[in-house]
Formats: sequence, structure tokens, C-alpha cells
Amino acid sequence: METLIVPGTLDSLGAIGQYVTRATSAAGLDKKAAYKLRLAVDEIATNIITHGYQEAGLEGKLYLYAAIDESILTIFLEDTGIIYNPKQQILPQKEELQKVLDERSMGGLGIYLALGGVDEFHYERVGNRNRNIFVMHRIMV
Amino acid sequence: MTFNATLEIIDNIAQISLSGELDASTALIFQEKIGAAAAQDINTLILMMKELEYLSSAGLRMLIFTKQKMGPGVAIYVVSPQEMVMDTLEKTGFHHSVNVIDEYDAAKIASALS
Repeated sequence: METLIVPGTLDSLGAIGQYVTRATSAAGLDKKAAYKLRLAVDEIATNIITHGYQEAGLEGKLYLYAAIDESILTIFLEDTGIIYNPKQQILPQKEELQKVLDERSMGGLGIYLALGGVDEFHYERVGNRNRNIFVMHRIMV
Repeated sequence: MTFNATLEIIDNIAQISLSGELDASTALIFQEKIGAAAAQDINTLILMMKELEYLSSAGLRMLIFTKQKMGPGVAIYVVSPQEMVMDTLEKTGFHHSVNVIDEYDAAKIASALS
């Protein structure tokens, strides 16, 4: 699929979701896998926009590219914000997830959902870009 | 699909009907409705989710915000969440703090609260 380039703002989340949905349809992912991948990309994109751009006082774009081969669908999500590795963020632990909402903290849920929803997740820093790589296995009938 | 939220308050029960996709770009709409509900003297919040097709962590944070703003005395009911929305609620443990029900029956909820 051709690359999607959108501004690094929350208004772009709709276009990002539509791009991922088109990719999951093209790859033949089932409804649950498609939802999980869309959610994962949405969550990481939201963090990039919020932490990598807005809170850092930066402006930039998000670059999405989907690659489909015989066995996997891979989504590449790149940005030029501050170095931000989702795998190095603190995730909520089991005890936190069992707390009642009155005692919950707000952070970490997005990355927790993102990393737990895909078959593989990788991060790499390439030049001045963060590259987030989401992999879903295709189940061929 | 765009996100929409409508608020209706009857007696001490606030009902917010959600539809479409609730993500970080639309969460403020939800927050406004919650704020309006929290400003009233309510003891129950009903979230109608049958038409909610997508829920990200931005929506979950709004639920935490809701519960902490309204206090432990306010019961939250989630009505008819779609399968993947429910999956997200379960993965994040939210189903321990909210009451998930298939249909909203005002009489039953009033009875449960009495």
C-alpha cells in the first residue's frame, strides 16, 4: 500500500484508523485481529502526537506504511518527534489493573493495550525518526 | 464513523448514549457530557454503548476521570457494549468497577440501588 502522510495532530487519528482498516481488509485479517491492530496503531500514534510532538513543543508528521506478504501484515509508523520507545515505558501491573477506578492512575493503558494486542511489536531509531513496527500473522484458509 | 454523545438526566440518574468511535480526538466530547452530569446531584451513571464501535484508552481515561470526579457513591452501568469494546474493558480490569448489563431496565437498577 502507498504511504500515508498526515500531520502529527489528534485530528489525524481518523485517517490513521481508516488506513489500518484498509490494510487489515487487504490482508484478510479477521474482525478481532483487525480491531486489535487498529487499536495498537491508534494508541502509539496518540502517544507520539501527545508526548513526541505536542508536549515537546515540536511539530511534525506521521508516516504510515503497510506491507503484506504471504504470512504477515506489517504496519510501519514513523515520526520525527523526540526519541520515544514504547517498550521502555512503564506498563500497569496486574495489581493496578485490579484496582477500582477510584484508586486508578491514568497512565500506561494505551501502550499496555497496544503491545498486548499485536503478534509482534518492534521499535527502532533510524536517523532522526522513531520507527514503530506492528506485525500481525495472517491465518490462511 | 464520527463520535456522538448525548446526555439525559432523569431524577438522580444520568444516561449518556455513545455512538461511533471514541478515541483521543473525540474524548473531549465525552468529557463535556461527563462534566455536565457530574455537576448534577446524581447517584447513577448509565453508559449506553450498543452503538459505540471503537474505544481507545482515551475513553478509558475518561471513565477513570468520571468515577474519581463523581466519587465512590455513584454507580456506573455499561449497557450492551460491543464485543471488542467489552474485550478492552476486560483486559484493563474495568469490568471490576462498572456494572456491565445487556439491557437498561430503570426499575431493576432502582431496585438494586435501594
